Amino acid sequence: MKRKIGNSVYLLCFILIAFYACKKDAPLPGSPDEEYKPTPYTIQIPKYFPSLLNIPADNPMTVEGIELGRYLYYDGRLCGKVDTLMTCASCHTQSHAFENGIGHGYGVTGIPTPHVMMSHQNLVFNSSGYLWNGKLYAGNPAYSTPTTYGGILEDVGWMAIVAPWECYSDTNASKAMIQSISMYPPLFKKAFGSDVVTFKNIAKAIAQFVRTLISSDSKFDKYLRGEAQLTPSELNGYVIFNTEKGDCFHCHGTILFTTNQFYNNAKDSVFTDVNDRYLVTHNPADIGAYKAPTLRNIEVTGPYMHDGRYTTLDQVINFYSDSLVWSPSVSPLMKKVNDGGLGLTPSEKADLKAFLLTLTDHTFLTNPAFSKPAGLP
Amino acid sequence: MKTAYRYFSVLSIAMTLVFAACHKEKPPVPEPVANEHGHIIFSFVHKVDGQNAIYDSMMYVNAAGNPYLVTDVQYFISDITLHKSDGSNKMITSKSIYYIDTKIPSTLSWSVADEIPIGSYNSISFTFGIDSAKNVSYIFPNPPESNMEWPIPLGGGYHMMKLNGKYKDLSNIEQNFNAHIGIGMDTTGGNTSFVQNYFSTTLPSSSFTIAKDDIRQIPIIMNIDSWFKTPTNFDFNVYGQNIMQNQTAMHIIVQNGFDVFTTGTILKKEK
Repeated sequence: MKRKIGNSVYLLCFILIAFYACKKDAPLPGSPDEEYKPTPYTIQIPKYFPSLLNIPADNPMTVEGIELGRYLYYDGRLCGKVDTLMTCASCHTQSHAFENGIGHGYGVTGIPTPHVMMSHQNLVFNSSGYLWNGKLYAGNPAYSTPTTYGGILEDVGWMAIVAPWECYSDTNASKAMIQSISMYPPLFKKAFGSDVVTFKNIAKAIAQFVRTLISSDSKFDKYLRGEAQLTPSELNGYVIFNTEKGDCFHCHGTILFTTNQFYNNAKDSVFTDVNDRYLVTHNPADIGAYKAPTLRNIEVTGPYMHDGRYTTLDQVINFYSDSLVWSPSVSPLMKKVNDGGLGLTPSEKADLKAFLLTLTDHTFLTNPAFSKPAGLP
Repeated sequence: MKTAYRYFSVLSIAMTLVFAACHKEKPPVPEPVANEHGHIIFSFVHKVDGQNAIYDSMMYVNAAGNPYLVTDVQYFISDITLHKSDGSNKMITSKSIYYIDTKIPSTLSWSVADEIPIGSYNSISFTFGIDSAKNVSYIFPNPPESNMEWPIPLGGGYHMMKLNGKYKDLSNIEQNFNAHIGIGMDTTGGNTSFVQNYFSTTLPSSSFTIAKDDIRQIPIIMNIDSWFKTPTNFDFNVYGQNIMQNQTAMHIIVQNGFDVFTTGTILKKEK
């Protein structure tokens, strides 16, 4: 009997040892593995929006990364200079759909940006290059350097630090400054697993935050979802927009209100800006071409065009109606260029404007999740 | 001896349990199956007057005598079907709608995922555009296809084709043109009805044979100039720059479309 009990004990021990041997090691308390557990963040794709998200594999979205990015976006110490508090939000303010509402940006040197601001909204859905000329595109050799990311949204953070019309600083100064601020190392630890600040992680965090800036709750969105009705004037403007009467949809179509493509939209007959689309493609057909910006929140994103030449929506509509000019590289989509434009009547212009105003997304413009976080200077 | 035997038995059971606990399931070895199929790769070629198209250059004259240039072409083809002489056919199902864009080189070659049963095929047919059952707004959420949307007030769905360019009018002034095809509107009698402008086409001389594990390269050629002739010359000076709301003009182009597509030499791709 005793022997039987002894055998059973041996057997039990063996089984326990066997299972223990197969078990994965648990992280030790206080080890880096235990502390680095970022929470995956899934972008909720609004109805009708693209399912294709421009998120690089080496920068997955996490709650902690987005939180860190939001702090950095709004932190004037990011430039790494003691004499400036310039932030991303200096030129990309929420009330203007994350552009500046005044046209060109002016960096710490007072040098203007080559073009007016572009808004930061729905950029996660764009895979056709960033900026007015699209020069920031994946695979652009100019951005395939040890300090850049190959031409993706992460490079916008890099540009903001080094460009003469922005911080005009360097990435080492920026990361040293951020490293020295006591609140940041723990945030980097949570987001990226190390409290050592690198500029790559700074840029990654900012890009993560920017990718959350999605505008999809305008009156027009509500109309599409059956939650609101448009007025007769707005509906008429919608039809003008979406027929050859206004012919806006070819360049500003889809649910994003942009194709994210590049067009010479008949503003000029002579071109002097060296930062047009031709800079990227070297195709003469792209001289004077720029990205068709999204018309979402167009009410608050003036001045308009790449150079901000129009300050009001009325001026823009009048331009397309009456002031187009021919050039050899004008987009073939500008069919009425030799007639001077679309020839809209005053009431058609008013209706078109009424429809454009339905693209304002007050939820987006006031969303607390996108605003300046507490605790920053 | 008895004790030793007992210990040996216990040890054996224990070791068996240990190995069973740690043993990983081996994946089942797939049974070899007959591989009686090959593959095809479609390439899309665009020609004007029998030569590879040169874009952005005012070097062509259409059948109506209009000097013109082409900037770009975007279009859908769908329901590609390979027909055998015995009446059976193989429809490409891995992608029922395919988008071609002369500005996006990656769209100009399509390695079809379908396994193509071996045998001799007499012809290839497809739908130009998208049929009415499938041509519904928002089926393509992502670019570049989503950029082909045809506005809902004009019938919705997607452009079947955007053929863009410029022509010289009777005063020798350059004008833009958009030969865009999609759902048309018939307003005859004061009532608006929608008209489907997709059509089926069979590629001439498109017979080929495919053996086991063969890869056939099949060029599909769009002869751009053919959109503007036979049976009806399309005159830009008559129909103007934009035709999306001109079913008469779209109908002429659609009618001219029967001989727009041809094939080149179908070759066996060396592995």
